[in-house]
Amino acid sequence: MSILIIDNNDSFTYNLRHLLQTAQSSEPDVISYDSIDKVDFQRYDTIVISPGPGKPSEYPNYSKLFKSGKPIIGVCLGMQIMAEFYGGEVSLLEDCFHGRTESIEFDGKSFEVARYHSLAITRVPSCFTVISSNQATVPMAMTHNEFPYIGYQFHPESFLTKNGQFFIDYAFKFINSIRA
Amino acid sequence: MPSNSSIQFAPEQFDRLFQELYRIYKADMFLSRSEFPGGGDCYIGLEPCHQLIVTDKTTKEQIESFCFNDTDPTFGYLSYNYGYRLRGVLSNKITEFPYGHLKKYSAVIKYDGKSLELSVFDETFDIDLDKIISLTEAKTPFEIGHIKPAESINSSLDRDEYILRTESAIDYIREGYIYQLNLTIKYECDFQASDLFPLYASFWKTFPASHYVLFESEPYQIISTSPESFLSVIDGKVLSQPIKGTLAYDTYDESLAVKLKESPKESAELSMIVDMVRNDISINCEHGSVKVSDHKTTFTVDNLIQMYSKVQGKLRRDKTVIDLMLDSFPGASITGCPKKKAMELIDELEPHFRDVYCGSFFVINDKRNMESSIAIRTGYLDKDKGRLAFFAGSGIVVESKAESEYLETTAKAGKFLDILKSEQKP
Repeated sequence: MSILIIDNNDSFTYNLRHLLQTAQSSEPDVISYDSIDKVDFQRYDTIVISPGPGKPSEYPNYSKLFKSGKPIIGVCLGMQIMAEFYGGEVSLLEDCFHGRTESIEFDGKSFEVARYHSLAITRVPSCFTVISSNQATVPMAMTHNEFPYIGYQFHPESFLTKNGQFFIDYAFKFINSIRA
Repeated sequence: MPSNSSIQFAPEQFDRLFQELYRIYKADMFLSRSEFPGGGDCYIGLEPCHQLIVTDKTTKEQIESFCFNDTDPTFGYLSYNYGYRLRGVLSNKITEFPYGHLKKYSAVIKYDGKSLELSVFDETFDIDLDKIISLTEAKTPFEIGHIKPAESINSSLDRDEYILRTESAIDYIREGYIYQLNLTIKYECDFQASDLFPLYASFWKTFPASHYVLFESEPYQIISTSPESFLSVIDGKVLSQPIKGTLAYDTYDESLAVKLKESPKESAELSMIVDMVRNDISINCEHGSVKVSDHKTTFTVDNLIQMYSKVQGKLRRDKTVIDLMLDSFPGASITGCPKKKAMELIDELEPHFRDVYCGSFFVINDKRNMESSIAIRTGYLDKDKGRLAFFAGSGIVVESKAESEYLETTAKAGKFLDILKSEQKP
């Protein structure tokens, strides 16, 4: 399994890389969003879109990735970029939530997860299904109805998230189920 | 550098020694009180024999070659400004201050405050234990010297301006550009004395901490009285102890520490930085080795309760302490998060350049051994102009109240402000 992380100039990218490496026992490559045009996505099995500052509209160069047909995992901004690309809407949260945990229901169980975001998906595109949302109905995880795309609004790679590994394993199980 | 000899030395004797070494040799000092988190050995460098003055053009290869081309230890600092180059941040500000300064010495003295063992490493300088003992036998009392009060102290952001900029930082946070931003103030005043040793010795006695540096970097002399360890590497075992969360007190009470630990705002401030430090050291640490422990531990320094955590990892065999330091620089606790965006906004919101403040001081022993600090509670004397600059700051998060952050910042500058505002007893 070869994985590429596109780093949107974030400061949690290498936490994500270590977590992905644990899940897939291979070292993911990391490239900066600034060099996205130079990447050959076909060399990779899965592409991860990292968290990062700002809003999806400030990252306009992802269309080549969505046209590549490759499985995608989006985290935080990464999930918001997926949503906007497919016609969803991302807006300011009323109360931003930074560096704290919240308990969410996911896959029939309760998990403590770390959230770091000021923006959230306020209109989910019809081709995606929200598979977890918090009590305030903010989408916390979503999957594409047809393609192997999965997004997490929270941060599986944070040390505050209990059992972050579970979410990475879940993502690959989901991706494999679509491809099979 | 081989150890020539060692001896048992009482702490009071060591205090007299470093004073004499400063008086005679203008030695560079890296002192530490081992009872503080991140505290360790003291190092004194005598007679620099090689130096590298870092500019914004200096490459990693040049730094590596300076540090590792022989087995002698390297002492020095990197300025916060050098981080602009490393993180790809642009600025219109200009500075005459060095972007860093690395030195090797003719002789080095090391003092372990726990075992009380003093060692001399000397190849060419001709200093030995007999000479060291004779220096401390003069029975001169530990002299702090006289510090004249400053006529006026300027600050780069006055209270109103600081509050406006804090509110701008909070707006950027709400808009999703950052989670935290470390905003600082630069203070400047005329300084009558020709050097900072009296100030250094006075702070060392009254406000001891883990990372006390006095360093010549012509035409500047730098004083750093930091409680914060950046990266400590012992035989490849990496430890970082970021500090976030501050509570000023007049009389310490255990309940205040509990209050600090239980504050959701202060906890979030620290947690973000812990996640960042994990990220920063993960770049050069073995997969699976990066762990957090002692999350939200408190200690007291400078009449402040401070909160910190330990982030540990194992340096990859194919990487060195220079890889680790440059990929993690500047330290997460003094930028904010995410780092690059926070640094761009700091450049926009702060009218001053930080120079050495918020950079790092370090002692590099070899490719897998290093001690370093976050250069906070730090200032410098411009000897040509007779001006002293010092700085303080605090982490702004979404829950921050501008007025409280201003008070926290002035509390952190407190030991400088107090000593410069009041007439000292001779």
